[in-house]
Amino acid sequence: MTQPSPAALLEGSFVALADAVGSGRVTARAIAEVSLSRVEKAQKAFGAFLSTDPAATLREAEEVDRRVGAGERLPLAGVPVAVKDNINVAGRPSTAGSKILAGFVSPDHATCVARLVLAGAVVVGKTNCDAFGMGSSNENSAYGPVRNPWDPARVPGGSSGGSAAAVAARAVPLSIGTDTGGSVRQPAALCGLVGWKPTYGRVSRYGLIAFASSFDQAGALTRSVDEGARAFSVMAGADPKDATALTTPVPDVAGQPGAGLLGTRVGLLAEATFAEGGLHEDVKASFEKAAGTLRAAGAVVTTVSVPRVPFAVPVYYLTATAEASSNLARFDGVRYGARKGEGSLSALYLETRSAGFGPEVKRRILLGTFALSSGYHDAYYGRAQRVRALLVRDFAAAFRQVDAILCPTSPEPAFFLGAKTDDPLAMYLADVFTVPPSLAGLPAVSVPSGFSRDGLPIGMQFIGPGDAEPLLFALARVLEDASGVLARRAPGAVS
Amino acid sequence: MKIDAVLVAKVAALASLELTDAEQGAMAEQLTRIVDHFEALREIPDELLAGEEMPRAMPLRADAAGPCLPAGVVEANAPEFAHGHFVVPRVVTRTG
Repeated sequence: MTQPSPAALLEGSFVALADAVGSGRVTARAIAEVSLSRVEKAQKAFGAFLSTDPAATLREAEEVDRRVGAGERLPLAGVPVAVKDNINVAGRPSTAGSKILAGFVSPDHATCVARLVLAGAVVVGKTNCDAFGMGSSNENSAYGPVRNPWDPARVPGGSSGGSAAAVAARAVPLSIGTDTGGSVRQPAALCGLVGWKPTYGRVSRYGLIAFASSFDQAGALTRSVDEGARAFSVMAGADPKDATALTTPVPDVAGQPGAGLLGTRVGLLAEATFAEGGLHEDVKASFEKAAGTLRAAGAVVTTVSVPRVPFAVPVYYLTATAEASSNLARFDGVRYGARKGEGSLSALYLETRSAGFGPEVKRRILLGTFALSSGYHDAYYGRAQRVRALLVRDFAAAFRQVDAILCPTSPEPAFFLGAKTDDPLAMYLADVFTVPPSLAGLPAVSVPSGFSRDGLPIGMQFIGPGDAEPLLFALARVLEDASGVLARRAPGAVS
Repeated sequence: MKIDAVLVAKVAALASLELTDAEQGAMAEQLTRIVDHFEALREIPDELLAGEEMPRAMPLRADAAGPCLPAGVVEANAPEFAHGHFVVPRVVTRTG
């Protein structure tokens, strides 16, 4: 039996890589060495990583080899994984992309990381991100922007931009991120990847640095749907450390055949075609093509309306920032992170926070504090919460007509660095399609559907009712097969 | 709605943030534009929103002490730590 090359394994699906490591045909250590070398290159080329610990990575890879040698069957044996820097990995820094957490070292694993490690994955680095997950372009990191491996003049999306760039650059086959209003799905779309957010509560939030707790979820970015589904099956599950984690059985997402889609009702989101801020014509064309692909696969494709979708961006930015203003109150220079200011406790709070938070985080804290403040609460936060409840009902009504909803993930392909940095509102509108399922706690999968005329990836998003992940992955496989994305390598991918 | 520098300063104080005059001015302009855009929520008739409330799905856990991080681990990340406690500037002072 010939020994497969680690480099070749990193080019393919990690399902095959895990099989090769699990059967002893290649070691996790050999894979980790090649991945670490690629991580360094991806960092230099795209700014994708914030920290690495090669010695720890190699130790952990050797531990996987030992477990494989002892006969353990590991679904992610030796799979290198990159972890967004707002998710804790024991013994490694977690800055969340912000100066205020400089020097913080995580005391333990986030539950989703612990589950990945238990399954045999090997952490190779922490990825760059918009500070506290606040951004749609990865230009709000205190440690510099991330560039898109498909075109380094363009953004990778955000806030999990480093996680997306790391996979698109082929430094790792798997990365994880947090998705509050689209922060896994939108960068997945802009970097030609599959990215999912689960039903709210399906993946534990323990160990995620909180932004907006009623939205935050961990998800994964991969090159293929099968890899995304395997990551889901490992990461999902109950957790006593997170009171919002679901305790019902995890849906089985393995191997849902595309042929089983005959008669599946897919609704094209009616509101997608008149999105505020416009829909890029290449995205519109890809949306129409995706509808045709699904019809050809046997799905019954209709149009479905979710009437309050046009209000989702205001609702999201009022409620998520309100939650952020509360969650980020903990960063006060007392228990962890950077400290500034002397003389009085209030001076310490003020100086620590003013020096530590970047402009976008300050803007969102101010917006959220305003929305909650006396005299404005009912008109802004209160009203937004009521519209959010109405949106939940809209989705429930839509899912009485269809089994899943399809819409573009992003209204446009990757935009140029700096194109929206002076206009926060324009940046917020980039989330127009990703925030609705977040507001309703619904699962959603973004899958590449094709390319723009400029050669940039385009992604489509399937949204389903709670626990519909098996159907969403099955539908995503149909578009993946038709898009040809798996045959294309980002021009900036490293080797 | 116009959000002026005075309102920004008031909200910043509530959030324990200190902004320079330039930051205050820029935030006032940006937040006004953002909040103006969000006024679109008023287009939804009140009667449609009557009784709407987000479901509270989160079950309450037992109010019982659980395991916590050992003091040594906590100390490693603390800016200042002594005798098992976080050190902050003096809060209570004796006068007179």
